[in-house]
Amino acid sequence: MLYVPVYLVFIPIISSMIIFIFRQKAILSLAFVAQSVMSVLAILYFVQYQDDLSQTMFTFGNWNPMIGIGFVNDSISMLFVFLTIFMWWMILLYTFHYHNDHRNFLFFLLFLEGIFLGLLQTNDLFNMFVFIELITIIVTILVAYEKAGNSFRAAIYYLLINTAGILSFLLGIILIYYSFGNINITIVTSMMSNASLSDTLTVRFAFVLIITSISVKSAMFPLFTWLPRAHAVAKSGVSALLSGIVVKGGLYVLIRMTILFQPAGYNMDIIILGLGLTTALVGVIFAMTQTDIKQILAFHTVSQIGIMVIGISFLNGDGFYGGVLHIVNHALFKSLLFLGAGVIIHRYKTKKIHDIRGVFKTMPLLSILMIIGMLSITGAPLFNGFISKSIIKYDLPPYAYWILQLVNLGTATSFVKLSQIFFGPKETLESKGTVLEYIPMILLAGSSIVLGTMHTPIMNVLLNVDLSYYKSFSMQYLGEYLVTIALGYVVYRFIINTYHNAVRKVREFIISFETANILFLSFLSVMIIFFVLLPTL
Amino acid sequence: MIKKGYILLLLVFILTMFIMVATDLERLYNSFGRQYFENNGFFETGSRNLVTAIYLDYRLIDSIFEAGILLIAVAGIIWISKHDLSEKNVEFMIDRFKTPDLFITFSRIVYPLMLLFGFYVIINGHVSPGGGFQGGAIVATGILILYYINSDRETNIKQIVTIEKLVYFLIILVASLSLFTKGVPFTNFIPISRGTEIQSLYLIVLNVLIGFKVALGLWTIFTAFLREGR
Repeated sequence: MLYVPVYLVFIPIISSMIIFIFRQKAILSLAFVAQSVMSVLAILYFVQYQDDLSQTMFTFGNWNPMIGIGFVNDSISMLFVFLTIFMWWMILLYTFHYHNDHRNFLFFLLFLEGIFLGLLQTNDLFNMFVFIELITIIVTILVAYEKAGNSFRAAIYYLLINTAGILSFLLGIILIYYSFGNINITIVTSMMSNASLSDTLTVRFAFVLIITSISVKSAMFPLFTWLPRAHAVAKSGVSALLSGIVVKGGLYVLIRMTILFQPAGYNMDIIILGLGLTTALVGVIFAMTQTDIKQILAFHTVSQIGIMVIGISFLNGDGFYGGVLHIVNHALFKSLLFLGAGVIIHRYKTKKIHDIRGVFKTMPLLSILMIIGMLSITGAPLFNGFISKSIIKYDLPPYAYWILQLVNLGTATSFVKLSQIFFGPKETLESKGTVLEYIPMILLAGSSIVLGTMHTPIMNVLLNVDLSYYKSFSMQYLGEYLVTIALGYVVYRFIINTYHNAVRKVREFIISFETANILFLSFLSVMIIFFVLLPTL
Repeated sequence: MIKKGYILLLLVFILTMFIMVATDLERLYNSFGRQYFENNGFFETGSRNLVTAIYLDYRLIDSIFEAGILLIAVAGIIWISKHDLSEKNVEFMIDRFKTPDLFITFSRIVYPLMLLFGFYVIINGHVSPGGGFQGGAIVATGILILYYINSDRETNIKQIVTIEKLVYFLIILVASLSLFTKGVPFTNFIPISRGTEIQSLYLIVLNVLIGFKVALGLWTIFTAFLREGR
């Protein structure tokens, strides 16, 4: 039972290779067999170690943990493991009809799952680096899978920027190994409280390098430019997977690293809060002006990541768990929206929202599911997005609170704009969607509602925190929400919809690769000034 | 111009910070890992080459995923390359009449030596510098020279890729054998009490498998690129 994490990593990898080698149709069902086995194993594992998750630590080869590589689970990583397996179920179901003639796609998809589960459970910095590198390469291939010109461009852009980011992570690891003599996360955390070690230029520099690379991986403010490109050109199933869970890998590493550097007592909460606020604001400003349905959703991923980072910047307590909960919630509703958008694009043969009309009368079930997703993302009471947003809002300083309200207003504006696709007369379309595409969407919508109303018991079991203070419904909340939507409509009607020059400029604003590099270096320099130079002066 | 100057300024600033950090390094150096490997590396793993000791035993799971990176890169390059893999007889970019005869003749002499040297580096990875990854690259270079010697070779890439996947599967299998002998996955399956001579058998087997896999992977990448070059 102790080695379940290893099985979780290798079951999907081995099944993916078997699927690649044998080319019979029957072998495709192996993916679902593997998924079922993994789900059962993960649940059994959690039930066994629920009371004391620190027992899950082990080292491969029984070496000294300072030498070998270990795996460990805590409550947050277990939550992520369940979320990962669940999301892969959804995506495998959604893309099922596609697998018959695309074995390679299934191969990459399952391999990615194994790697991602490894990233969640590893307890070793260099091992984490290897997993992140593998994720980068596989995601590049998945983004370029359409083999069109723009998908190649987006994939290469993604690969180069993320490779630059990950190199700084490696440099940080080298500096940490040099000064601590090991790279086991648990042991380094316990050594961090020693001020003669952690309050030095070297370790501060390592911290800066690591945070910089994470800000690239998780698409924070100056370096988010790869995300909208990559997510907008990929297949809809892949977009849902990327926005739903793979980008959260970066945030997961951020959580791990904040836990790692907490004993050192750097004032990192301020800078993480600033990063989160700017990311949320910039993402939503870009999202309001877009007219391409997938671009809108991709830029909203950026802004929601900002909100999660605001939550993580609390470092502990309810606000932090609000951030973690928002990661889960965002995975559910954003993948739901992406999958729905994929069905719409497939049937209307266009991505421009001005050309799509009459979705509600053409596809009523899909429209209801999409509306559930929109209510969640705009923070309607009784839906899951509302819970995590209100937890995050609760402890914020006033200025951050108002910025977050602005972001909510922008989100409302953007989805008022997106909701125009539902109105209009019924259209006759040729291609029909399959039942298998609807099952994951119904499940995702259902889980959104369940998490919105029953968050207290679920979080109590999974994370062992008490969130019963945060109610999911009252008339006051509903009133606030309706006011936000009304304001959003006003903003959309009188600012966004006027074809103003400024709106067009923001929409067509593109950051080239050269500029992205300059931003990367500037960001690194600013972080160095903030964390390394100022404390020493 | 302004952009270039700005980038230069930033790079100089970051470099200066690095140099400032370097003043700290002398005082901070923690040699725990180094001491451990120097004292125990040979007896615990049976490898005189401590690098091999680290990547085939202490940190074996890292090596498995490093080999996985190559596997994924190969699969991705094949997927992205334009040509259909069912074309077996592709005229390669290498033009027989533009390649000097001297080069071809020398290649014929050097080819067996290269293969031999590659195998030597693979098999002796645990006693001398080298190992599976390096030796595999040398063997792959030897195979590449074959294209110069005989420019209308046929290569069935599908077979190579399938074999590569099988070899990767074998690597995982051999690495996890220790689950049955020691109760822990991903280490040497031969107990330490058997002595270093017997332990090195496992190192040789794993090195050969890794070298084989790396050679196949690089060979595939060459072939895909050669087709692309036209």
